[in-house]
Amino acid sequence: MALRSADRALSPVDVALRVAIVGLALSTGYIHSTLGGVLFTLNAIGYLVAAVAMVIPLPLAVRYRWVVRLGLMGYAATTIIGWAIQGPYYTTAYIAKAIEVLLITLLAIDFARMDGNPVTVIKNEVADLQAKFGRRSATNSSNA
Amino acid sequence: MKRLFLSLCLVVLAAITVACSGAAADNPASAGPVDPNAPVITAQNMAFSPATLDVTANKAFSLTLDNKDGAPHNVAIYTDSSASSSISVGEIVSSSKSTQQVPALKPGTYFFRCDVHHEMTGTINAK
Repeated sequence: MALRSADRALSPVDVALRVAIVGLALSTGYIHSTLGGVLFTLNAIGYLVAAVAMVIPLPLAVRYRWVVRLGLMGYAATTIIGWAIQGPYYTTAYIAKAIEVLLITLLAIDFARMDGNPVTVIKNEVADLQAKFGRRSATNSSNA
Repeated sequence: MKRLFLSLCLVVLAAITVACSGAAADNPASAGPVDPNAPVITAQNMAFSPATLDVTANKAFSLTLDNKDGAPHNVAIYTDSSASSSISVGEIVSSSKSTQQVPALKPGTYFFRCDVHHEMTGTINAK
């Protein structure tokens, strides 16, 4: 089983990947911020928050970085699907979508390197939760 | 006395005219004095002005978009508000002008919007 991202020291490749991910997220966020309108501005804010969540050294963010990775992949994919449905189809949009495709790809690589198989990660997290709740309910029943 | 009354009437009339023209200028949705053969639509503060445009039916025309916003806009004309069938789609530009050729429109009402910001809409009346 791959070590959790929280338990692993970052190699130079990991750092480069992380920098690239943050750069791409901020780039597409910036493009969306220049488009005006509420929807695009909210989208830009979303990318900014995700970029910060990718690097912020808070214990909670470090522990759940895998959630941030999956969330950002889903966010970028949703943005691409939304654009595919309603456009507009012009140069700036194509650049933003290319950035988002690259962002998803790098996030998938980063996820595989740091967390391993996403199904295994989710299974482990569920098992952890079940163990915690199991312990808590066992403690409660012994106290009663 | 009669002259004074007439002068007062003229002043009041002038004041009303100025007030009305000011109100029209403040309302971006009002139809301005647009040349039906070469209309200009201004995009500013995420809205089109005029939002209602009268053009001559059965006659092709050049439509100019003057985008005063930093955000990108275009004018895309559709048969109706479902925006499923386009008639003329203008180039998306930021802080500049763009002119598009619109084919002759049969008499009727047409829908236009910005393809980037779907909330920016307007109507073309071909008469």
